[in-house]
Amino acid sequence: MKLNSFIFNCPTRVMFAEQESASIASYAEDLGIIKPLLVSDRGLVENDVLRPVIESLTDSGIPYETFYDVPPDSDIDCVNKAAEFAREKECNSIIAVGGGSVLDTAKVVNLCLNQGSDLLANQGLNILHEKLSPFIALPTTAGTGSEVSFVAAIKDLSEKRKLVFGSRFLAPDLAILDPTLLLSLPGKLTAATGMDALTHAIESLACSVTQSPLTEIISIEAMRLLFEHLPRATRNGDDLDARAGTLVASTMAGIAFTNSGVGIIHALAHATGALFKTHHGLTNAIFLPHGMRFNKQESCQVFARAARSLGYADRQNDDTACDILIGKVEELMESISIPPRLRTIGVPAMEGELLEHWSELVLEDPSIMFNPRYATTEDVIDLYKRAY
Amino acid sequence: MPFFNDSDELGTVMRELWVTIADDSSISSPLLSSKLIVRFHYKEPDGQITIDCSDGENMVIEWGDCEKQPVVEMFMQADVAHKFWMGQVNVPMYLLNGKMVAKGPVNKALALLPAIKPAFKKYPSVVRTTLNRDL
Ligand SMILES: [Fe+2]
Repeated sequence: MKLNSFIFNCPTRVMFAEQESASIASYAEDLGIIKPLLVSDRGLVENDVLRPVIESLTDSGIPYETFYDVPPDSDIDCVNKAAEFAREKECNSIIAVGGGSVLDTAKVVNLCLNQGSDLLANQGLNILHEKLSPFIALPTTAGTGSEVSFVAAIKDLSEKRKLVFGSRFLAPDLAILDPTLLLSLPGKLTAATGMDALTHAIESLACSVTQSPLTEIISIEAMRLLFEHLPRATRNGDDLDARAGTLVASTMAGIAFTNSGVGIIHALAHATGALFKTHHGLTNAIFLPHGMRFNKQESCQVFARAARSLGYADRQNDDTACDILIGKVEELMESISIPPRLRTIGVPAMEGELLEHWSELVLEDPSIMFNPRYATTEDVIDLYKRAY
Repeated sequence: MPFFNDSDELGTVMRELWVTIADDSSISSPLLSSKLIVRFHYKEPDGQITIDCSDGENMVIEWGDCEKQPVVEMFMQADVAHKFWMGQVNVPMYLLNGKMVAKGPVNKALALLPAIKPAFKKYPSVVRTTLNRDL
């Protein structure tokens, strides 16, 4: 098999340990953190999730400012407010504790602090050429991989679209993976965010023109951890080992997809989420088996390799091994009570102009460029009907 | 050695290529319906070309300085542009490794890539007529 040309970056130091968030101050000097802006959301503050971080900073005499008003699907207003506040308080760095929305917000706030506040002028891919301010990310969900990824998406409410920012300089300097921060995450969200991570792993595996042996091995190991730990973490949120497994897996899947891309499943989920505000991980999950079947003609070999490496297939031919893997994904979804259909998560029966508009959004999503199989309007409509 | 010897060569080829694209409605109509103004910035040799589809009916092509405010801007080496039109660029890879920079709401511009592919066939003859060089 001929290898692709590839580039692989992981500029983020990754530290994994239980309770490590309580030692955050020990990283401050090394990273040049003098006065950080602590970014999070109200729910996490109310659940006391930030306590170890705050205690560590306070005990070490590190002054900090707080911005806790990040909404679930962050937008330009929120970023501007946080950036303005950070400037006013002369923060030199960022510590973000939260899920994908908090971490993405923090990335773009960091961009604003260094590049000025005109977000529209700074959107795009690869437009940064230098390091931003020191930035530590502490994920509180095991899903988006935002703690290591080079991308951030922020809503532009006035235009009803997402601004996309992509640059390796957006990645945090340090990701602290502390599974105790995930203990209060409810089962449903654990399942949905975990399926986002699984989708990252599987789609990055399938990106035939950008994937590499490095991303492949990382993706497959992330899948192994998720198949093993996601059902346990979903059933029993206090199972710290299972939390740890899903957390490390989602970071690994983040490293894989940020180096090789995601594909049609994310494009379908982005468009559906944009129109009907469905949960990103849940929507990905529902499209995942259908997207894998759609990509099978291009991804059969790599999916079969994954199935064998995970111990689900042995001497079966690639075609059968690939089907076994898709079956395993469906079994996993069932075991963690992910609904198999879009209609149960609030997506309406689409036709006419609405369906046309939705399929345009799918086909103009940048993720689709990385998909191994070219998709037409008819293809995406067919995928919608299968998933509906 | 770069494919284009100087900015004049680059400009002549790019202008002629886009005029050819504008004249072929099968390629130009999806670009026109996007109503985008896209600017390509090239390095070594340097140059820029602005493709204005904003009125939806006529494609206005301007080489060099141009006051129009582009919606999307693409930055690349002139050699990358040459390889792109030869159909030899793996665009996702070039976006990952930074050899192509896309500024602005990239969704709409990247979505036009499949529409632009038929123009790859026209590129060798554009180079032959403008530079008298076979590819
Ligand atoms: Fe995702």
